[in-house]
Amino acid sequence: MTLHIGQPQRRENARRHLAGRGRFVSDLALPRMLHAVFVRSPMAKGRILGIDIEAASLCPGVVRIFTAADLNPRCQPWVGTLDHFAGMQSPPMNILAEESVLWTGHPVAMILARSRAEAEDAADRVLVDIEDAEPVTGGVPVLQPGAARANDAADSNLCYEALLQTPDVDRAFAGAAHVVEAGFTFGRHTAVTLEPRAVVADYDPSSGALTVHQGTQTPYQFQDVYARHFGLPEGKVRVIAPDVGGSFGMKLHVYNEEMGAVAASLILGRPVRYVADRLESFVSDIHARDHDVYGRMAVAADGTILAMEIDDLTRIGAVSAYPRTSAAEGNQVIRLMGAPYRMADYRGKLSVAFQNKVQTSQYRAVGHPIACAVTEALVERAAEATGCDSFEIRARNLIADDAYPHVSATGYQFEKLSHQACLARLRGMMDPGALRAEQAALRARGIYRGFGIASFVEITNPGATFYGVGGARISAQDGAVVRMLPSGDIHCAISVTEQGQGTETIIAQVVADQLGVVPERVSVTTGDTATTPSGGATWACRGAGIGGETALRAGRQLRDRILTLAGALVQTDPATLRLAGGAVVDAATGAPRIALEEIGRIATYRPDTLPDGIDHSLTVAHHFAPGGYPFDFTNGIQGSLVEVDVETGLVTLLKHWVVEDCGRIINPLLVDEQIRGGVVQGLGPAFFEECQYDADGQLTNGSLADYLVPMAVEMPDIKIAHIETPTQDTILGAKGVGEAGTAAAGAAAMNAVNDALRPFGACLTQTPMTPLRILDALDAARQERTAP
Amino acid sequence: MKLEGEQFLNADPMTVWAALFDREVLAAAIPGCESLDQISDTEFAAVVKLKVGPVSARFKGDVVLSDIVPGQSCILSGKGAGGIAGFAKGAAQVTLTPEGTGVRLRYDADVAVGGKLASLGSRLIKSTAQKLTGAFFTNLSEILAAPEAVGPA
Repeated sequence: MTLHIGQPQRRENARRHLAGRGRFVSDLALPRMLHAVFVRSPMAKGRILGIDIEAASLCPGVVRIFTAADLNPRCQPWVGTLDHFAGMQSPPMNILAEESVLWTGHPVAMILARSRAEAEDAADRVLVDIEDAEPVTGGVPVLQPGAARANDAADSNLCYEALLQTPDVDRAFAGAAHVVEAGFTFGRHTAVTLEPRAVVADYDPSSGALTVHQGTQTPYQFQDVYARHFGLPEGKVRVIAPDVGGSFGMKLHVYNEEMGAVAASLILGRPVRYVADRLESFVSDIHARDHDVYGRMAVAADGTILAMEIDDLTRIGAVSAYPRTSAAEGNQVIRLMGAPYRMADYRGKLSVAFQNKVQTSQYRAVGHPIACAVTEALVERAAEATGCDSFEIRARNLIADDAYPHVSATGYQFEKLSHQACLARLRGMMDPGALRAEQAALRARGIYRGFGIASFVEITNPGATFYGVGGARISAQDGAVVRMLPSGDIHCAISVTEQGQGTETIIAQVVADQLGVVPERVSVTTGDTATTPSGGATWACRGAGIGGETALRAGRQLRDRILTLAGALVQTDPATLRLAGGAVVDAATGAPRIALEEIGRIATYRPDTLPDGIDHSLTVAHHFAPGGYPFDFTNGIQGSLVEVDVETGLVTLLKHWVVEDCGRIINPLLVDEQIRGGVVQGLGPAFFEECQYDADGQLTNGSLADYLVPMAVEMPDIKIAHIETPTQDTILGAKGVGEAGTAAAGAAAMNAVNDALRPFGACLTQTPMTPLRILDALDAARQERTAP
Repeated sequence: MKLEGEQFLNADPMTVWAALFDREVLAAAIPGCESLDQISDTEFAAVVKLKVGPVSARFKGDVVLSDIVPGQSCILSGKGAGGIAGFAKGAAQVTLTPEGTGVRLRYDADVAVGGKLASLGSRLIKSTAQKLTGAFFTNLSEILAAPEAVGPA
């Protein structure tokens, strides 16, 4: 039954990519295709006084230049709010800036030419006269009454605020033996996908059909968006996402440029291609994080965590992203605080503020790294205050493995987690006693090493209460069509999508086990709204848990269909048959009764030989929506060992450990690779990645020469272990794993750096932890020590 | 971004002063200047081609002279748009102080750049601006040293 589920099957499409046979939108060329280039605002805020396109329109190869007046009317503006975020505001957005420019990089004009080079040359000739205004780029003061507004179409800079609290939180703080506190800053960073955002929009006026080839993780969402915002019948809109060169949540948002490509194709009746260059990616792809968090933790004398209080200010863009908003990250930050712990009381305040920068929104591990870093840094302070060590305080406070179901102080319902088992396993892997001894010995030689750990909870398999309840047309269900070909081979068309994480491989494994075939006989189609059923696709760690369950149930329906047919053919009760080894076999003895290809042959070519009335269709369609718990939470713990050079501030990442529980593991190879990739994307922003802006709202490091990404040589060896606690909500029992690595890697690393710096009394509370910030922290600690 | 510096010019203050207001001298001295039109006594419109690191652009801009104390000081302010390359704007206080046989010219400027220039060239902007300023004064010195360059005032 589970011959292939649980096996380290290699990723089927990796061979194709290795052979250079990937098919990306960036490579697509269609007849009569035009290339789009956007003229962007060089200012963070201002009023457009005029746009002179005359010289540009005379440039060679230019077919058309659009400004807001002639492009925007084709598109219904979009508004990035959700109904369940009460009181949220965000002004409407359209493709090109109309009167105001709102961030450096805001598209102002769109040039369509025969080649990208010609379009760029023409863009150079467009003169945009912008009267610049003082941009809003700061923090707290922007929320004070009367502050200058980032977006004059909003009534203040406050996009959204929320307060979450238990009735006894103040009493918990008042009665605490210790209260530890700190302020934290989490810098902006961005996805930096290998393949930038890419779209080819192809409208055929003769049929009224719009086909959009797009490097996205959510084709069905874009089918809906294009139909509604351009007034097209949904059935006339097809979105195809072929190979996608990385996505990480960044490619599911609605962007001005993709909407512009569609609008231009609708107007011109020609294919329009837009592929972002790296600088454009930096000034138009969503950024993530940008939070200032102040946190307090109330602790009893014995180290019991009593309560937390959090104030999170997050600065987004001048509008909230669409359709998932820019408030969801802050919302998850305040709800994930303290999630692994028994802690009874909590107060979390969230303020989401507009500013004149690129909009922020969902990116891998939405909110998790922030909630985890703040919680785990405060837990370390609580340990210090109560004389516990890092493992001891967590053992005392983590929810016991037999205490489920459990509801967190912030209202999350946990079905069953394994924090204590993970902690014990990590302790065994890290051997903290040996690490402490080594640390002491090295300190004597002027070498400063430290280790840190961080427990985490990850949100996976979200149900319809996540977005659907807020009015967003974002599907929480998925669909699969599974069919047997006449040869007995299997095909599965499914709505979860593939961006290199191996979705198609695990779906083949799941389907193969339901139908008693090897995964090599199962081909999987994803990413095309015309050939696969509608569903949520890829976001929030749902591919394995929801997509896998969808495939499993569809596969079982086809199995039952095949067995019924086989029962008629071999004149046996279908209940005594099962599928194995590519054949129908006797359930009790395993003796072959009839091969799948024989059933396929008869059902397809000789249905006339079947008994009257028997259903010989070998195709089933099934949709699955998660029920039961609103989310299937996962959990785990990470450890980090670092060495800090206190003369230069450089950190060497020596080792990283992860113990993770994602429920049923479908493919251990791919799960481990998801975790490793996630850890790297957690360590990147902890040490290197930051979108830096000056006071005028100019992004000052918009290239990979200045924006540092984690490189293989800087990354530590990552040791991974698993605990398996399958969810009972599904037959498959799988939960998500894509964001687990990112959730806690930075938190563990920050604790490790601070452990290394403990002899100096220096403490980092800002990411990325650059050498300069480490030296500044050492300097501040030195000054404090020598102050009178 | 603050830029400051000084340059000794071997000419009398009024000659230097006149040169600073002379369209032809300026056009010859400004690095990359493609055209310079005098709009009024104190206003110029310029087209300048510049390269900062990987970004090269043709800037169209206006330069205005204000707070004029003849022979001694003035404020030069300007802004230029460089299309997709971005923009630059700034103001410089220029003072002339007689020194020996010539004059010491001092400038204190505050310059801001935006768009692609800021995103791609931030590490290079200051050094480029200093290089361009140096080139301007070298050109100016050379023009002042050639007697025929400065026409009758």
